[in-house]
Amino acid sequence: MIIIGERINGMFTDIGNAIKDRNPAAVQEWAKKQEVAGARYLDINTGPASKNQAEDMKWLVEVAQEASDLPLALDSTNYDAIEAGLALCKRPAMINSVPAEMPKMERVFEMAAKYNAAVIGLAMNEQGIPKDAESRVALAMELVAMADAYGLHMEDLYIDPLVLPCNVGQDHGPEVFETLRQIKLLADPAPRTVVGLSNISQGTKNRELINRVFAVMAMACGLDAAIADACDDELVEAVATARIVLNMDIYCDSYVDVFRKQG
Amino acid sequence: MGLTGLEIFKQLPRTNCKDCGSPTCLAFAMALANGKASLDKCPHVTDEARENLDSASAPPIKLIKVGTGDQTVELGDETELFRHDKKFYHPTAVAILVSDQEDVEAKVNQIKELEFERVGLKFITDMVVVKNDSGDADTYKAAVEKAAALTDKALVLMAEDTGVMAKALEVAAGRKPLVYAATAENYEAMTALAKDKGCPLAVRGKGLEDTAALVEKVAALGYKELVVDTGERETSKVLADLTQVRRLAVKKRFRPLGYPTIAFTSKEDPLEEAAQATVYLSKYAGVVVMKTAEKQHILPLLSWRQNLFTDPQKPIQVEAKMYGVGDVNENSPLYITTNFSLTYYIVEGEVEASKVPSYIIAVNTDGISVLTAWAAGKLTGESIAAAMKKAEVEEKLAHKKVVIPGHVAVLSGSVEESTGGWEVLVGPREAAGIPKYAKANFA
Amino acid sequence: MAFNLHKEKYRSKVSEVVLGATKEEGGTRSHTLTVGGESTLPFLQFEGDIPNRPIAALEIWDVAPEDWNPCFDPYYKDVYDNTGAWARKCVDEFGADLVLLRLKGADPDGKDRSPEECANTVKEVLEAVSVPLIVIGCGKGEKDNQVMPLVAEVASGEKLLMGVAEQENYKSITAACMVHKHNLIAQSPIDINICKQLNILINEMNLDLNKIVIDPTIAALGYGLEYGYSIMERARLGALGGDRMLAMPMIGNVGYEVWRVKEANASEEEFPGWGQQEERAILWETTTAVALLQAGMDILVLRHPKALEVVKKNIDELMESNKYE
Repeated sequence: MIIIGERINGMFTDIGNAIKDRNPAAVQEWAKKQEVAGARYLDINTGPASKNQAEDMKWLVEVAQEASDLPLALDSTNYDAIEAGLALCKRPAMINSVPAEMPKMERVFEMAAKYNAAVIGLAMNEQGIPKDAESRVALAMELVAMADAYGLHMEDLYIDPLVLPCNVGQDHGPEVFETLRQIKLLADPAPRTVVGLSNISQGTKNRELINRVFAVMAMACGLDAAIADACDDELVEAVATARIVLNMDIYCDSYVDVFRKQG
Repeated sequence: MGLTGLEIFKQLPRTNCKDCGSPTCLAFAMALANGKASLDKCPHVTDEARENLDSASAPPIKLIKVGTGDQTVELGDETELFRHDKKFYHPTAVAILVSDQEDVEAKVNQIKELEFERVGLKFITDMVVVKNDSGDADTYKAAVEKAAALTDKALVLMAEDTGVMAKALEVAAGRKPLVYAATAENYEAMTALAKDKGCPLAVRGKGLEDTAALVEKVAALGYKELVVDTGERETSKVLADLTQVRRLAVKKRFRPLGYPTIAFTSKEDPLEEAAQATVYLSKYAGVVVMKTAEKQHILPLLSWRQNLFTDPQKPIQVEAKMYGVGDVNENSPLYITTNFSLTYYIVEGEVEASKVPSYIIAVNTDGISVLTAWAAGKLTGESIAAAMKKAEVEEKLAHKKVVIPGHVAVLSGSVEESTGGWEVLVGPREAAGIPKYAKANFA
Repeated sequence: MAFNLHKEKYRSKVSEVVLGATKEEGGTRSHTLTVGGESTLPFLQFEGDIPNRPIAALEIWDVAPEDWNPCFDPYYKDVYDNTGAWARKCVDEFGADLVLLRLKGADPDGKDRSPEECANTVKEVLEAVSVPLIVIGCGKGEKDNQVMPLVAEVASGEKLLMGVAEQENYKSITAACMVHKHNLIAQSPIDINICKQLNILINEMNLDLNKIVIDPTIAALGYGLEYGYSIMERARLGALGGDRMLAMPMIGNVGYEVWRVKEANASEEEFPGWGQQEERAILWETTTAVALLQAGMDILVLRHPKALEVVKKNIDELMESNKYE
């Protein structure tokens, strides 16, 4: 499972202030810190307070790229802001995200084709998030068919089954796992899967433990990526260990260090 | 694995007409993928799409049988690219070429002598290829008839003139030989012949893509008992083609190449020929055809085949018996190990390196290593004593000392007890310590 | 059905190791040899690069071998006692890409030669031939820890390939390689986990990853060759998939393993069913080598000159482009 580092987000006070003051220090510090900790993408989100999302996105992309060679996941519901950021990305980026809705899918997949970007597709539509796995998978299938029509490789489509906090949507858990399993059967090669990991523990005590347990269980169901706290050492250790147990990496005594260094 | 939703969706009309009862073609594709609907519900699906969907449930590489009786050769039906992913199922058939212009009887008899005993196993070659070099139908027919009379091995008939082939099949069709080959020039008549006689047919194209196209033409004539030859003869190009055929069949379910392959060596020097055949055997050839029939040229290739096609999940075993290493006599030391081949050969190598001629008893532990066998109760005082008794140690040795592996030192007492008073010596924990141990104790 | 080739896209490639150093580079070799660098599985040039052909060495000893099969006599008997001449013959007459010198004479249970004597033999071989050199110890760790540092010192700057480092004994040889700029053979006992861990341990001592060559330990044909073969295939797939700790070129002591087994040495009188001994033995060695080439072996160490010839021809053929038009 690859980790998409979640920390460069205007919702966090230090990043919010950095954006406001155009002071790159905090952004660059987190870019480096997450890379060293084991992140393979950096999520970039201007946050809800942004007055001019496109300009803020451009600035974040530029300063993050000065500090880190990791590819970026541009996180916004404002597609103009995403496109402005994509134009500046030095490495193939990821668009975060699009629901299974027209005409949003058309706009996003067209953009993805143009900029050679990967896409996170959400298993939801105008009616919201379905409860059962079957409906989630049906929405995933719509994303798959649309991505295929635009010539996107399945390896570049990351489907998010959508995770709800386990204290309010406890019954969604098993459905999410089932969705992850079935998504792998939709196409060959299969599309990839992603979750926003911290959603599972919103508003709970023991947030980190819940995140870790959910991550390894989801990996066993085929989860490929998570937007998560790359600086949670124990999470990274759990993920490295799950990769060994699932025979995804070749074991050696120093496997955790190896995972941190090369993912 | 069945088809994915996307693959099915692409075969549907994509009109969302709802005639099947599903709201969209996409939903119907999903229902099909999950086995919750039948394709019959869609009145608009084309015949071509239906066939594509039907064939998807067949194995990626078709199983083809050549020959009859005990010596029937099974080819294909492989599912892996690497043996460590699961295993390879049907060992590459090794075939030897006989020309109708040489002394057929002499060569076939030479081929029959290619039977080897090693490590308790018997290795044989599988097929005899009779090639029409003379261009003459009667000469060829006589050669085929003679070969068929001399050996029960599966036959490959190699003639491109359909008239020549027809005549040879008069005497050999009952042996279900592989008919080689349908080509762009003769495929209609050759396919009709093979189909009529119920014999498997090799299809030879000119390169990968051309071969795939030719196979489709043959299949369109209603015959699918096929073996493919892409026509390449240069080592690296054959390697590339064999790899592509396997990948396209297994990973892409590409039907026109979903058959076993046949590869021919092109080298004249028999050592170079054997090396070339080793490449093809390592990388996916269903049949490899050789010209040399000398024992020393064939034994190494058959040994490699035996190694490569063992099941990686299943340990290979040596015969559970007593082995003499070096010039042994009644005073030679006696070591105990298990019959897991890797364990045994490591111990044997180290005993040999110790330069002290010794006996080794490989105790039958169903091919598992010392510690595992001990934990599983398969290496015990009783099993060791039984193996010693079977090896008649009391008669063969003038001493009563036995060395057990250091890892199972705890068995000392029970071995002593079960053997009725043999002195048990505890050897080193790792085989690498044997030379030092032997020097200290037996030199 | 539409025809499309199936090409794999790998994330990474095998590291490149340079053996030997010319005068300009601080050594005395006439040329260097680069191994590794593959960006696909062996010889699949239709989807990746095989920038450096696999190379083949002949093995020589610093003492006359007592137990080599008599079929070697016509080739080596006159030079068994003269290590430099033996090396020269391997290169000039038999066409070896390079030579592996096994310091068998250091063995405390044998001639027990001193580190100084061993170092002198290395110097002698370096003077006798101009190709890059592989030097390995006698296989007894304690003694090799005295011998190899001195060898590293007297050959400083020559970029030897030196061996062997093992999980239980890697520090002194690794340090010697670091100081004197040599390459190192990391040997693991048919165990991919130890193979990877040993590379990490060596790398933690700050020897660059492109100075390491993996010896996965292989058995001879018929004696468990498939274990090493599968480990090599897994390691190579790991390397191409981005596992840098398995992404080194690989070396195999084919001759050493093959000439220990019965099938190479037993006479035709003893086993009439096995055919003529010398050709059988040559093919036992060749088949082992050619099979391992298909699993990704980069450096083959052989003994019989005829096996060397056939293996090199096989490599020539496999290096012909197989790109599709």
